[in-house]
Amino acid sequence: MTDPLNQQLEHRSDGQRKMFSSSFSVICLLVSSLAIVVLATLLFSIFVTGGTWLNLEFLTASHRENNPEESGIGQAIVGSLVICSICGLVALPIGVGTAIFLEEFQPRRRILRMFHGLIQLNINNLAGVPSIVYGILGLTAFVYMFGAFHSIRINGQPDYEIGATYSYQVKTLGGQYVKFPARAKLQPTIEIQDSRTVTDSSGKRFKLNVFSPIDEESTLAKTRSKSVIRGTQAQLINREGADLYEAATIDGRSFTFPAKPTYSQFAKILEPITVTGPDGKSFELNVLSKSEAIPTDELVKARSVFADSPDPNKRSSASIFRENSFFHMHLPFSKSVLSAGLTLALVILPIVIIASQEAIRGVPQTLREAAFGMGATRWQVVRGAVLPSATPGIMTGAILAMSRAIGEAAPLLAVMGGVLGTTNHLSSLMDRTPVLPVTIFKWAGDENQGFEHLAAAAIIVLLAFLLMMNSVAILIRHRYEKKLA
Amino acid sequence: MSTTPTVMNQSKRSPQSPVQAESTVTLDPPLMDAQTAIAIDSFNAYYGDFQALHDLHLDIPEQQVTAFIGPSGCGKSTLLKWCNRMNDIVPIAYATGTLKVGETNVLERGTDVVDLRRKVGMVFQKANPFPKSIFDNVAYGARLHYKISRPELFDLVELSLKKAALWDEVKDRLKQSALGLSGGQQQRLCIARAIATGPKILLMDEPCSALDPASTSRIEDLIFELRRQFTIVIVTHNMQQAARCSDRTAFFYEGKIIEEGATEDVFTRPKQRQTEDYVTGKFG
Repeated sequence: MTDPLNQQLEHRSDGQRKMFSSSFSVICLLVSSLAIVVLATLLFSIFVTGGTWLNLEFLTASHRENNPEESGIGQAIVGSLVICSICGLVALPIGVGTAIFLEEFQPRRRILRMFHGLIQLNINNLAGVPSIVYGILGLTAFVYMFGAFHSIRINGQPDYEIGATYSYQVKTLGGQYVKFPARAKLQPTIEIQDSRTVTDSSGKRFKLNVFSPIDEESTLAKTRSKSVIRGTQAQLINREGADLYEAATIDGRSFTFPAKPTYSQFAKILEPITVTGPDGKSFELNVLSKSEAIPTDELVKARSVFADSPDPNKRSSASIFRENSFFHMHLPFSKSVLSAGLTLALVILPIVIIASQEAIRGVPQTLREAAFGMGATRWQVVRGAVLPSATPGIMTGAILAMSRAIGEAAPLLAVMGGVLGTTNHLSSLMDRTPVLPVTIFKWAGDENQGFEHLAAAAIIVLLAFLLMMNSVAILIRHRYEKKLA
Repeated sequence: MSTTPTVMNQSKRSPQSPVQAESTVTLDPPLMDAQTAIAIDSFNAYYGDFQALHDLHLDIPEQQVTAFIGPSGCGKSTLLKWCNRMNDIVPIAYATGTLKVGETNVLERGTDVVDLRRKVGMVFQKANPFPKSIFDNVAYGARLHYKISRPELFDLVELSLKKAALWDEVKDRLKQSALGLSGGQQQRLCIARAIATGPKILLMDEPCSALDPASTSRIEDLIFELRRQFTIVIVTHNMQQAARCSDRTAFFYEGKIIEEGATEDVFTRPKQRQTEDYVTGKFG
């Protein structure tokens, strides 16, 4: 038998080996510079297209139809920031909590361990789900809430809401608007405006279709027995002690649904009441009878109205007026900032969880042992030893997740629609708002060529945001590494 | 390694030390019938299907230093960790038999491990201070268990650091990070931290294995000083260390206790062949 170690083996060509090695590093260099070239080209073209449009006016103005010169992204920036904050406030506690549960509270029982593994598997899979899927989920879960709350608006008011103040507003003879608080009560008649579930006379429940009069001919043929025309009047009745509204479908089938107190659209003013003026001061409103003449004194005129009268020239009915506080909320959330924020929270939740798990796993086991050894409970270990050490890692992961959220367009298109500009500024959680990615998407596809430049300028702003967030993440990590060293 | 008598010579301390003077008096017979701090009976420990310890019987006396010696993987750390249920962290670990600390069998399901660990402190192989200030490290355990006022906490921290012979070195920098201390100081800090919860028993899992000889000697001095205030159980690979600072020694081999007795007897007059081979350095 030959001994391979003592054999004279033929040498491989040294030059060839080294040539392969060096040419491979050249190929690597070329491939990686290709990526940089593409990125540079992209940035260059964006800056050429949009750079000159970037100015303070652009950053503050809002979208104007067919007017690229005066359009801007003020509302979109605010919208993006608000939605991202909601998203972060929701996703961070839930994500970190889940990560703590998965990492620190591992059960000993086999069945519970399997449950644990199932959650972990789900989270890993969810991280790869396309964001538009979350958009559809958000649409069902938050915008419509699986239809659990009928979205009927009686007299324009949702069934379940908080944070809204209703008052009546009336114009005095002097031309100022004054208001006084509204009281909810059972209205003798209401107008049906939205679909809801109702009960017919035989006790059968069905979903009511609500159509505008113009749809009637074409669409109602098949569903006449389940449809009403928007604005159909329902009468308050009392049956076996329950207050109900009763109305009839187009083919005359009568149905009922429960009544609850609402504000009527208009209020009659028949006697003097205390009102609040435009300056916030309260005073007694002077109510003139319909036969009286208009007072000449300006101050008296500013504080007077005619009592409600059939004469349209002298009518002074007060109409309902809603003021929303910033936390104004109703069920379902409908297409709103809140729905959008919650949907984005779903999108980034798996990312936050996985990043937090990594951070928690990175905490040395010796720290846990030290705390357990002192007699700390599981929660004390998490609170006192694990979380302080894991926080920088968790923060880094959370910020990177947020930077994904701020760039998402698809789920927002699903839950808020393609809003470009709103007349009112964002004032409550139930408002809709334009956001940066959706604005870019709509502008880039706009028929008016001028908006393409704006889209490029908006992309620059979005990239600046992303860059900022990523640098904060890097900064945190850097400081953390220094602290450990 | 040197022969056994030399090991014993090394354990003699300088006659000037007052601790030494005291301990030479108290080391002898009267202590040998001390109360039992930990009573181990028919004890078996498992990791999943693997049995790490087989049918152990051992009484660990109060206010003495008991050393567990033996080659790696013989189960001495496992037994130590069961004494305050630190093995609970390992999901597949379980044990049968009785392991009594005082009157309670700690292996029982209903044992209050939080209270157990307050009474049975632990010092680990690698110094593991929290990334907090020196003061907060020592105060950590006290804050976990007690409602304690700020001045009382200061007193407690000072006392604990003094007992751990660290006070003079750190009294001017209590607010600084504990991670800035040297390895030996960190290990003494961990001892101070364990003392601060007011335990009766201190478990030490190879406390000097990551330290240089100078720091090791300081820790050994410390163990010597603490021996009459606490029941100390120390796991060590270093046989001189066991000989120097323990009153009793248990020799473990392959999950069983081969021999247990007064340290002097185990090292100079071992009854078992395996013990003799091990303490004289023939294997392990």
